[in-house]
Amino acid sequence: MTVFKTFLKVLNKNKFVIILYTIILLVFGGINMQTSENSTNFVASKPDVLIINNDENIGISKNLSDYIEKNTNIIKVEDNEEAINDALFYRDVSYIVYIPKNYRQDVLNGKNPEIEIKSAGDYGGSYAEMILSRYIKVQNVYAKEIENEDELIEKINETLLEEVNIQKTTTLDTNSLSKATFYYNFASYSILAGAVYVICLILSSFREEKVRKRTIISSMTYKKHNRILLISNGLFAIVLWLLYVVLSFAFVGDIMFSTQGIVYMINSFVFTICALTIAFLIGSVVNNKNAINGIVNVVALGSSFLCGAFVPMEWLPDFVLKIAHILPSYYYISNNEMVTNLETINFETLKPILTNMGIMLLFSVAFIIITNVLSKRRK
Amino acid sequence: MFIHIFKYAFKTLFRDKMLIFWTFAFPIILGTFFNMAFSNIENSEKMDIINIAIVENEDLKSNEFIKEAFDNLSDKENEDSLFETKYTTKEEANTLLQDDKISGYIILEDDKANVVIKSNGTNETVIKYVTEEILQTGKIVDEIAKKKIEEEIVSGNYQVDYEKIYEEVSKIVEKDDTKLKNISNSNLSYTMIEFYTLIAMTCLYGGILSMVVVNHNMANMESVGKRVATAPLHKGKLIISSLCASYITQIIGLVILFAYTIFVLKVDYGTNLPLVILLALVGSLAGLSLGVAIATLIKANDKAKTGILIAVTMFGCFLSGMMGITMKYVIDKNVPIVNMLNPASMITDGFYALYYYDTFNRYFFNIASLLIFSVVMILISIGGLRRQKYDSI
Repeated sequence: MTVFKTFLKVLNKNKFVIILYTIILLVFGGINMQTSENSTNFVASKPDVLIINNDENIGISKNLSDYIEKNTNIIKVEDNEEAINDALFYRDVSYIVYIPKNYRQDVLNGKNPEIEIKSAGDYGGSYAEMILSRYIKVQNVYAKEIENEDELIEKINETLLEEVNIQKTTTLDTNSLSKATFYYNFASYSILAGAVYVICLILSSFREEKVRKRTIISSMTYKKHNRILLISNGLFAIVLWLLYVVLSFAFVGDIMFSTQGIVYMINSFVFTICALTIAFLIGSVVNNKNAINGIVNVVALGSSFLCGAFVPMEWLPDFVLKIAHILPSYYYISNNEMVTNLETINFETLKPILTNMGIMLLFSVAFIIITNVLSKRRK
Repeated sequence: MFIHIFKYAFKTLFRDKMLIFWTFAFPIILGTFFNMAFSNIENSEKMDIINIAIVENEDLKSNEFIKEAFDNLSDKENEDSLFETKYTTKEEANTLLQDDKISGYIILEDDKANVVIKSNGTNETVIKYVTEEILQTGKIVDEIAKKKIEEEIVSGNYQVDYEKIYEEVSKIVEKDDTKLKNISNSNLSYTMIEFYTLIAMTCLYGGILSMVVVNHNMANMESVGKRVATAPLHKGKLIISSLCASYITQIIGLVILFAYTIFVLKVDYGTNLPLVILLALVGSLAGLSLGVAIATLIKANDKAKTGILIAVTMFGCFLSGMMGITMKYVIDKNVPIVNMLNPASMITDGFYALYYYDTFNRYFFNIASLLIFSVVMILISIGGLRRQKYDSI
């Protein structure tokens, strides 16, 4: 009890720093979720395109821009070249089509006018280019054979109407699920940074020279002392975890009530335990309060960047993912990614997820053992 | 005296391990993380080969051109090859789709093409798109051939060589004479922004250095400050020479970071090196002035001051795109005033302007903003610093 009381005292003394830290993490996470939706959500099936029509908006020229409009996502950008270039650089638009002056006349006169484009060179850009060249190809073929503009437009549109049926096999709400995965992936940074920062702060207070000397001469064994500390810190970690789970309901919504939602929660709980033991280990090694800030940033940012908390795992280079295997965050984030595609829930499909959770728990046990060994040696 | 103070300020800064960590090591560590995480993003944004399957049935046999087209697109020697195609039965295709071995499969039934996919996505869209294009090409060939045959008949030639006409038409259709001219700037690598925010962060973290030297000279902060205050020295000279020391320390840190990002991480700062250096120097000045302002204006212990400076810097970097590049664009587009006041964004935007634009208006606008920011900060600090006297402390 003595240890726990002291724990609360220290927590109370540092409450402003802790609240500030939590708020910053939440604000970062929240804003980031809102803004990065369009950048991470690459499943959008229509590319973002901007059309600048320098020709009169009738006939062939209008038909071209109508066709692009129908098959892409038209983005409105302020009408100056700098705003347009900025939009392209930040991938607000992937592709820009400049329909030249006299385009209509040139096509009708059997010329093959050149169209200027700008492309961000990404997926959307390549796709938009496919759409544009398909249209021009069809137009070029017919323009050689047909002279009447209306007939030409009709033939082009008729041909381009040829479509295939799409059958989707999944029943999952993949959009909500990827949102939830994004949230929980980001939470790995917040939980790790929050736990390590606060717990290190508390432990370093316990490790102050005078306090430590008093603890050592007390009748309490170092194991018991460590155990109570671990439990008190554990309580803190659980509160932290609960906070992020409650927030996930607010940010992500209904999908959290599904079975998948429960898997996210259990997974993050296991990760929180692991974060707790990491914090405990670092806290036992580091005595200097000033160093905590630096270590928190390096550890939390490092494992978040290397394991795919900020940048989706599929985009990370292979060698980074190989290195990431030595970090618990890797197993946590892989689990989140797996839940996104979890169609049926039974023992077979849950097996890899449970294995990853097991690995995280093994990490935790290892960290506790190391902490105890170091702690004993220091006496 | 100037040199003497300068020397000792310099020594004090270099002996402080925490300072050196934040201003020298941390940006390099962060840069390494960025490099590991982002090095692949832009490559993975490009089209990869997509795995698909085509169900082999009677319908496919009667539409030979579809098979031919897909074989052509799956030809590995073809530069535009898009697919890796397997021919399977329907059951096999379903299993492959469930196991994520393919992105989708194509099945011809009752003269219609169906594309079966698991969920929406870019690969799935490409499959749909290409299948449509193949069908459309088939339709064009049919249409034009029909027209030609009619023409032949009208002109009185009843012995039409159908095969020859189809061959001719196919040739017309295959000839791709689409003329597109790409006029976009070649410097489109948007992950560069991350590294620019890193430089911005380092410039502003330099504020910690100037804050420490100013604290050393303030009687209400440290005992060193008290001793300094009693010394018969010109205070202005004192502060200027210690600030010079902090500025130079900051520049050393930046030089190391630049060397690391250019030679190890291969960051592209554009071609105009003198302007890059100018921006770094002015950016550091902004950091220095921010540090001085926080040191003089905020009455708190040095830990709280450092905390505030780090928080301000990190928030500025966040708004200028460090934690997600889209952030900068969203702010620039919707609330431009925020980033016009944000020194981190001025620095980032300056590098961006150098990298992406050929003209220098935007760059010099940022340089001017940074200078104004620095001057305002320094003027405010002078107001706070001068005529400080204590009867007892």
